[in-house]
Amino acid sequence: MPSRSIHPLRRGALIVALMAALVPVRGVLAQRLLVPMDDAQQNHLKAYGLTYAAIKAGASAEWLLNYRGGAFLLADTPELRRQAGLAGITTEPVDNARLSQLRAEIAANNMEAVPLEKAPKVAVYTPPDALPWDDAVTLALKYAGIEYTPIYDDDVERGDLSKYDWLHLHHEDFTGQLNKFYLSYRDAPWFIDLLQKNSAAAKRLGFANIPGLKKDVAEKIREFVERGGFLFAMCGATETLELALAGRSVDIAQSFIDGTPMDPDADRKMDWKRTFAFRDAHLEQSPFVNAMSDIDGHQVNVPGRRQPLGTFTLFNFSAKFDPVPSMLVQDHRAVVNDFYGVTTSFTKAVLKPGVTILANEEGAPWVKYIHGDYGKGTWTYYGGHDPEDPQHAIGNPPTDLSLFKSSPGYRLILNNVLFPAAKKKPLKT
Amino acid sequence: MRERHKFVLSLLLLAISPASGFPISASLGAQAAASPDTMAFYRALDLEAAGKYREAIPLFRAALKTPAAVNALLGLERAYAELGWSDSLVAPLDTLISANPKEETFRTVQLRALQMAGRQADLRRAFDAWAHDMPSSAAPYREYARLLLQKNQSAAADTILLRARQALGTTKDLQLELAQTRAAQGQWIESARAWRQALLTADYLVQAAAYALAPTPSSSRAQVREIFLALPAEVGSRRALADLEMTWGSPADGWNALKELPPDSASAEAWSEFAKRAEAEDRWAIARAALESALGWKRTPDLSIRAGTAAMNAGDAQAALRLAPLSLANGDSALIARSYLPLHARALAALGRPMEAERLVNAYDRFLAPGAKSSLTRTIAWGWVRTGDMTRARAALAATGPEGDSSDAAGWLALYEGNLKAARALLRGGTESSPELASALGLIARLKVDSAPAIGKAFLALAKGDSAGAATQFVQAADLTPAVRSLLLLLAAQVNASMHNESAAIALWTRIVEQDKDTPEAPQAELEWGRLLRLKGDAAGASTHLEHMILTYPQSALVPQARRELELAKGAIPHS
Repeated sequence: MPSRSIHPLRRGALIVALMAALVPVRGVLAQRLLVPMDDAQQNHLKAYGLTYAAIKAGASAEWLLNYRGGAFLLADTPELRRQAGLAGITTEPVDNARLSQLRAEIAANNMEAVPLEKAPKVAVYTPPDALPWDDAVTLALKYAGIEYTPIYDDDVERGDLSKYDWLHLHHEDFTGQLNKFYLSYRDAPWFIDLLQKNSAAAKRLGFANIPGLKKDVAEKIREFVERGGFLFAMCGATETLELALAGRSVDIAQSFIDGTPMDPDADRKMDWKRTFAFRDAHLEQSPFVNAMSDIDGHQVNVPGRRQPLGTFTLFNFSAKFDPVPSMLVQDHRAVVNDFYGVTTSFTKAVLKPGVTILANEEGAPWVKYIHGDYGKGTWTYYGGHDPEDPQHAIGNPPTDLSLFKSSPGYRLILNNVLFPAAKKKPLKT
Repeated sequence: MRERHKFVLSLLLLAISPASGFPISASLGAQAAASPDTMAFYRALDLEAAGKYREAIPLFRAALKTPAAVNALLGLERAYAELGWSDSLVAPLDTLISANPKEETFRTVQLRALQMAGRQADLRRAFDAWAHDMPSSAAPYREYARLLLQKNQSAAADTILLRARQALGTTKDLQLELAQTRAAQGQWIESARAWRQALLTADYLVQAAAYALAPTPSSSRAQVREIFLALPAEVGSRRALADLEMTWGSPADGWNALKELPPDSASAEAWSEFAKRAEAEDRWAIARAALESALGWKRTPDLSIRAGTAAMNAGDAQAALRLAPLSLANGDSALIARSYLPLHARALAALGRPMEAERLVNAYDRFLAPGAKSSLTRTIAWGWVRTGDMTRARAALAATGPEGDSSDAAGWLALYEGNLKAARALLRGGTESSPELASALGLIARLKVDSAPAIGKAFLALAKGDSAGAATQFVQAADLTPAVRSLLLLLAAQVNASMHNESAAIALWTRIVEQDKDTPEAPQAELEWGRLLRLKGDAAGASTHLEHMILTYPQSALVPQARRELELAKGAIPHS
């Protein structure tokens, strides 16, 4: 939901006034509320929601990178204490003496305190109808209590992306081939409905077919990032967004969706200068193979190519010199179990130079989690579908995150939601 | 990871040896006696198992000239695959095939090697050559079609199968590939036909068939059913359909698929297996029907107990007794005491025939395992309670001697009679656990008095199934015993809620929260209140109560439950 922007000085005055009003009610409150994010925390995922609520309310908030698993330091207000109590979030009051010790420890180590200023306005690109698969980001946002606005093709085409700071993509196939589900599910009622609605949307919005519409949506997403937006994508949206951007002027869709076969020379005609993360990838030419390209290292839906799941390791960055990648990898576990998705991982060989690798599988020719700048904005790709359902299949029930309150894989998603709130500092290098 | 790989590898070795006609597993045990030319092969196997693929390769290659050639080739294939050198297999394969063009394993490995190397044109040529050299064999078509299916090239696989039909005049040896191809292409009806044919000769494919056809859309399922149900009724196809129906959520149709099978050992096994799945899913009526049919073929004690238990769980105590007669135990008293007695006592108690149950238990008393008597005594006493005859219930316990007098059942009877002193002593030392027992123990622990007939009457009414009467009597008892008022009101509210008398339940929860807010029942009342509101769709009302409960009673053991309810009310987690 859009939030009203308040001048920082005015906001500060409001906070002081609010605090002054509230303190007598509940007695003397500590100077700050520390939300530890190491193993002392009882509910890591809700802690992000608490921090988001603090920022949204205009209360002070800092992200203590590499300190106790990436702890948060919040203003100690009755409302935040109430919310923490309701959600079962572990908090520790911090007085001035302890605050000084804490700041000294941060200054002396590979740690940093990053002020969080403005709650990002979050949009999730998702079809309005329920589909037989879940969306890890939507699940995480709902569970953490972070507000978001679902948007889809009509909204994007109307130019609504400019209303948001942060955009999430998950399972969408931006090549317009509906994830090639036609191969296995063409008679399934949900697929028939999906096809009809997407075809109708393409027609309504003035495109010849679904690939035409999705490529245009991809282009508007590219422009959103170029203008300063934060893009976070998972699963098949990562790979297909890149293919749609590189293949904007090429027929990369199979005949079952647009009536014409893929351009046999499509590989050569792809324009990789337009993409965020990948270059020189090869398209899957066969309409019968359930893969889009060789970007994905795991190829889960191609029996002869499918690679087994392992674990991935988060990189350690300098909190003081590389605060953005540091924020994105804050976690209480450095090694996380891998999980499949339509796109599970990203082949190293097709990464553009300059892409920041946030997590990889040691010894494997692929990486899991990548990030980069584009224009004035940034993008982050996280392979896989659901961190707590590694074999998620169509029709499976959605994951109940109350059973995975401290999921290290889900934490990475929520890191991405909060990092746009960070106050930009001049680089020290 | 490496250890797991080795395990898989060793299984593979054992699996391939019979097919190749070379008894590796036996020979491995007698390596000392092996000829010098096969020693290289054994050494290669050892190196492979140790992960030393580079060292194993020359030895495997040397063994290609020995009687172990087939297995040496398979070893070479594995070693090259580990190193990503599958391409290197192609040259030695050409030599082997020239020397022995009829050996199917060489040809199959050649296709795999060319597939792994991505040499599609050569792969096609190799297939063509094989089909040419062995014009009456289905093997080239089968192996090539399988490779294409693995690559999801179902249309190409279809073309190969069509060619096989033209060349061989039939696809009877390719039914499995045909079935998989049709399923991959979404041609569910044709796939079902092919599966039915494949299952005729390979009934071990039942699960594969059910798996492949599981995505059949509902619009095509009737035709798939028709194909599998067509006469004659064959065990393989009927089992596949039964599995499919269970997957599609129609267990009754699953049983319909099986019940017409002619009674024989294969059918009885199919019925018993189907019943296992039904039992696991608590489909007791269907499990009972399947087990009853299995019993019709072979009456074993195990089947009869399973059938009787299924009938009992389905609510048919009379059938439970009929399906599991004691006569089936052939006079084995220990078996009767261990397996039949609990079922019979339960059924007789439910039928209001506790006297017969009592007689039966007494007859096998000396064969009962320690602890079993107490449970049976309780069952019998329960039977008397259900008839409303407390005197007989008491007498039943007394008749079983000192153990009966000190049993859980005696504790319950004491409670029903309002004798809290005895109930306190007996229930505390009991062996059973249940929510009712927890409530009763909580209640009597907090009461200092030794007698409370009103409370006993309320519990008795509950035991007799008189919920409305029990709720009223719990409220009346609450007014008489202020020390446990909140707990009795909570019990009354729970009984009302279970009868969907929600306004009465809410009135009682309100009373607890307002009048007894410092008791342990207050957070529980508010949690149950919130849960009820959530289930009725009043998310805001539910949230108010749940938030109040969590913040007012942060130390309550019920807070995690309240948080989960709150998350459900707010839509923060999916409803299961």
